[in-house]
Amino acid sequence: MASDNETRDMFVETASRLFSEQATREIINAFEKGTWPADLWKQVEETGLPWAAVPENVGGAGGNVGDLMAVLREAGRNAVPLPLAETGLGAMIAGEAGLTPPSGPLALAISESGAPLRIEGGKVSGKAKRVAFASVCDNIVVVASGQVAIVPKSAVKIDVKQGQTGEPYDDVSFDAAAASASAPSKVSPERALELAALARTNQMTGAADRILAITTQYSKERVQFGRSISTFQAIQHMLAELSTYVAAVAAAARVAARDAEEGGDSFSIWAAKTQASDAANKICAIAHQSMGAMGFTYEHILHHYTRRLWVWRRDYGSESYWGAKLGRAMCEAGPDAMWPSLTASKVAT
Amino acid sequence: MTMPTLDFPPFRLPPDAEELRTEVRAFLKEILPNLSAGERFKSWNSRSPEFSKAMGDKGWIGITWPKKYGGAEKSFLHRYVITEELLANGAPAGSHWVADRQSGPNILRYGSEEMKDTILPRIVKGECFFAIGMSEPDSGSDLASVRTRADKVEGGWRVNGTKIWTSGAHRSHYAITLLRTSGQREDRHRGLSQLVIDLKSPGITIRPIINLNGKHDWNEVVFRDCFVPDSMMLGEEGDGWLQVTGELAYERSGPERILTNIHVLKELIRIVGRQPGHQAQVTIGKLAARVWSLRQMSLSVAGMLQAGKSPAVESSVTKDLGTHFQQDLPEIARVLGESEAADENDIQEFLDVCQMATLAAPAYSIQGGTTQVLRGIIARGLGLR
Repeated sequence: MASDNETRDMFVETASRLFSEQATREIINAFEKGTWPADLWKQVEETGLPWAAVPENVGGAGGNVGDLMAVLREAGRNAVPLPLAETGLGAMIAGEAGLTPPSGPLALAISESGAPLRIEGGKVSGKAKRVAFASVCDNIVVVASGQVAIVPKSAVKIDVKQGQTGEPYDDVSFDAAAASASAPSKVSPERALELAALARTNQMTGAADRILAITTQYSKERVQFGRSISTFQAIQHMLAELSTYVAAVAAAARVAARDAEEGGDSFSIWAAKTQASDAANKICAIAHQSMGAMGFTYEHILHHYTRRLWVWRRDYGSESYWGAKLGRAMCEAGPDAMWPSLTASKVAT
Repeated sequence: MTMPTLDFPPFRLPPDAEELRTEVRAFLKEILPNLSAGERFKSWNSRSPEFSKAMGDKGWIGITWPKKYGGAEKSFLHRYVITEELLANGAPAGSHWVADRQSGPNILRYGSEEMKDTILPRIVKGECFFAIGMSEPDSGSDLASVRTRADKVEGGWRVNGTKIWTSGAHRSHYAITLLRTSGQREDRHRGLSQLVIDLKSPGITIRPIINLNGKHDWNEVVFRDCFVPDSMMLGEEGDGWLQVTGELAYERSGPERILTNIHVLKELIRIVGRQPGHQAQVTIGKLAARVWSLRQMSLSVAGMLQAGKSPAVESSVTKDLGTHFQQDLPEIARVLGESEAADENDIQEFLDVCQMATLAAPAYSIQGGTTQVLRGIIARGLGLR
């Protein structure tokens, strides 16, 4: 299902305006100290943005996964401290299974080979580590065993942990936890993990773009030796190099989002998350170097973006995880398949 | 806060361009059966007039040009696909490369009708090759400082001066040459023009410059009272600067800035075997992700060029990132391949390929705009200068 440009533009415009005006530094800082931004969530909920990719017949906005990714780029650009990726995907996966997603923020727990979850007879079992935002969500969407289940927070045990973005990355124990609803899922756990990786990649491109904007702006304002530091060739070349990494992440993220929207192969997502995670450290390192001590303070906003890049590169599969998957598939296909695979964005056989 | 100006919208090649890809692949498979791994990676630096003639016979040189000059009036994207396949398959496409990429299009855009009629059909047939006469002993990155002069004489121009790093001048028919037709060196880009110079003309001496590989590709081309007729002036006198800067986006974002040594990745996949260890998988996956992302950037620029835009900054970003990928690739491959080779017997040949790639690599971030020049252009695009 393709989305028309007008719908996409409307989502992006709404997200951009709301996030840039309302996701203030005070709110981001307060959440890090434990205050859930309830008002911000309420405003976001009223726009329907988290349900961008949920079918209309179960209460969604009727857009598609490409619209959701466009919204997430704006969220990343503003370091929005809300589970928008998790709610957006959890509601989409539940909605596609015919379940009506509950209102309120959702966390997402996906069964992985290293941390298996089971859904049997409407009950969920297993342990999930680093479940983003679990402790501030009323419900957790679980994808496992060919099914999708919605589990109320009251039915699980949560070990609250703060991630280095300042947001919760909790461990969740499901001990035959009763789901409020479950159904056969059209989305496998493997695909759910890919979609979550795609979501983080798109958040990362937003954050990376913002880092470039912050550093270029700062270099023009900061005066040393009687001139703005942007006039020094050393700074110009650092920021130019930074922009090349930012651009690579952006190009990869957008192509992967397009391919997912058009029902394309997983290859683009594997490559895009690998690229984004691989570039994150270079982006952050140059950004901090260009801003000196100022960018290393808590007071400055830069760290809200660099810390997110450093954490998000690990979320839902790092460059090691997806890189190995991509590399394994390309080696299995053999040397003669390399170029045909790269041009088709699909491992050639 | 002002947002960055870089934009790489996703772009997908049209179906008929992908159909052409299949055709080109089949042709190359047939015509290039026995190239060694070492030969393949030379590609656009490897000249074979016979191969160029075969490409001409297929109608794959000057494919975008008007039919009346022998072209096929296909889109720039068809050319893009051909270029990709030539590089990825290591075809010895160096003879016609420059004529197809920039000299022909320049003549088509600015040349006289006589020039188009006499030269373009020969390029299309794969019989006429070009060199680029831009750099001089004292003008490298600072191209506007050229001092080769052309003085007006009866019926034409008298050229004096020296061009350097002129790739393939000894095996080309013409060189489009940037020179000063009025004013002084201090006038910079004003008073520069381009002449299409027949390299067999009296008054031209071509001397080889051997590179660090011991190969002869570069030349020094000296002009001493070399007469060039009026009809060989490209466009209007004084338009030279406009012409050379206009062609840079095509030159900088093309597949040759990404895929020149992609054969090293292929050989790496061969040497580690079908089931390598985890670290080899990760490293190969990261390399594949990098080149895939770069290709998406290059495609995006191709889409913008096709739409008539001038993505100067985006093409500089693509070249900068692409050339550094190409410089990293042989090093990463060498280290991984040596430790993870599935069959010890193949390792020396593989390391030879890496070694050749390493020795070729310094040129990537020099030719077609150095890293430093590109970063200056990007910085300007970011509003820093």
